[in-house]
Amino acid sequence: MNAIGSEELGALIRAMAQRVAAERDALNRLDAALGDGDHGTSISRAFAAAVEDIEALQEPSLSAIWLTTAKALMNRMGGASGAIFGAFFIKGVASLRDVDRVSNHLMAGALAAGLGSVKARGRAAVGDKTMVDALAPAVAAFEAADDFSAAWAAAATAARKGAESTRDLVARQGRAKFLGERAIGQQDPGATTVALMFEAANDWWKENQA
Amino acid sequence: MTARVHKLINQPENLVDEMLAGFCAAYSDIARLVDKRLVMRAQPKAPGKVGLVIGCGSGHEPAMTGWIGEGLFDVNIAGEIFAAPGPELMVKGIRAADRGGGVLICVSHHAGDLLNAELALELCQAEGIDNVDMVVLYDDISSAPKGREPERRGTAGLFFVWKMLGAFCEGDGDLAAAKALAEKARDNTRSLAMSLSSCASPVTGEVMFEMAPDEMEIGMGLHGEVGMGRQKALGADETIDLMLPPLLEDLPFQAGDEVLVLLNNSGSLTLMELFVLYRRAAAKLAEADIKVYKSWIGAYATTQEMAGFALSLCRVDEQMKALWDAPANGAYMKQL
Repeated sequence: MNAIGSEELGALIRAMAQRVAAERDALNRLDAALGDGDHGTSISRAFAAAVEDIEALQEPSLSAIWLTTAKALMNRMGGASGAIFGAFFIKGVASLRDVDRVSNHLMAGALAAGLGSVKARGRAAVGDKTMVDALAPAVAAFEAADDFSAAWAAAATAARKGAESTRDLVARQGRAKFLGERAIGQQDPGATTVALMFEAANDWWKENQA
Repeated sequence: MTARVHKLINQPENLVDEMLAGFCAAYSDIARLVDKRLVMRAQPKAPGKVGLVIGCGSGHEPAMTGWIGEGLFDVNIAGEIFAAPGPELMVKGIRAADRGGGVLICVSHHAGDLLNAELALELCQAEGIDNVDMVVLYDDISSAPKGREPERRGTAGLFFVWKMLGAFCEGDGDLAAAKALAEKARDNTRSLAMSLSSCASPVTGEVMFEMAPDEMEIGMGLHGEVGMGRQKALGADETIDLMLPPLLEDLPFQAGDEVLVLLNNSGSLTLMELFVLYRRAAAKLAEADIKVYKSWIGAYATTQEMAGFALSLCRVDEQMKALWDAPANGAYMKQL
């Protein structure tokens, strides 16, 4: 399939929500080394709210689904993570407005817009030990692929590799920056969540669309 | 394996709501809930005055609910544990605090607090709520070097800013003047914290980081953020002697200056220990010919049950002294 509608987009968000919920405790443990130890709890709470709010939409257009996800992450998660994960989705809304079905190229545009907003809001670049380390390579891989199957697969692989690369880094943004050298050896929980989101999307795609 | 701490709570997901409900039930003459996450002063200030709001993570009680009341904040927008509230809730809080004289959003500088305040300000502009501004406040000298003050974290010493700004906003000054006063109080305030122990997250029940029984950390942040590094735990006098000089050098506080002093308990230090610490700090300040105008000792901004304290100083002039002495009636900040 080379274009997806709102039903599929809603299902992708649901798959992401299920994956972060399943990995909640593992994400909390990663965050315990670098932050408050509650990233898994807060991201799964916000994604669960997004799924509920999407189901309650009267007219679940593509842009409405993306906007609803943005708002749930921003308002139900709070903190820096909520604002930045929310920024990722909210900036993609414009790309999805007034279209019924989205191609992988259009989707790549929404993801790239989101990445730009995350970098600007979070004042972060690749190498700062943040979610950008997973998101930037994932978006680049998604953009370079020819169809959705290849795009989700490449993005999932790139996001995981990017998340794992954060282990060797000193944080330059977020509260882990105060750890200095002590952050080395710890994988960034935000980048890990990004990897889980793309992996969930890829798995859903393989099972349902490929 | 990290240790777990049993806290006397119910379901962690209901914790913040239940705590705010309890607070407002206990102090119904001072504060009330206007939304399950918005705590507002019981008697709104007179129309035309500048409204003061702060959005912040929960888990630092009595900050900031204890600072709602006459002569203090109008609305506290309460986030999850250690996480700033989202922008839509902040806009609700701003609307609630609007008495026609504009609203100042106070940001205790942390990434989440700043990002969400920026988003809230953008939403306000988009929704046509004019005359809203924000001020970013910081005081922790351990979180960025001198010369890079705007990168520093907001911690216990903002106590001084809250009190003076609250008093100022009972007067006739406008929004721009309120912001200028907040910046003046901030620029005269410095803090340094230390900790002897970790604490447990009420969300997960897990201890947030490990500390050996004979260790201490100088420069600990309000959420257990690390500071200047670990060292062997010292006695009270040696600890003050280690912390006071960098604090004095940073502003710098000089002979002849007049200061307010706060010894803030992070959670589980005893008052006995704080009095012993204060005795040394007062003696050293006297030696440096710095005059203490007023001093406060207690738990004003906490990090759960962490055993530690912050030492904060604020250099004051006549305007600031008058604002400090003006009446305030919050549940945990009273000035007669």
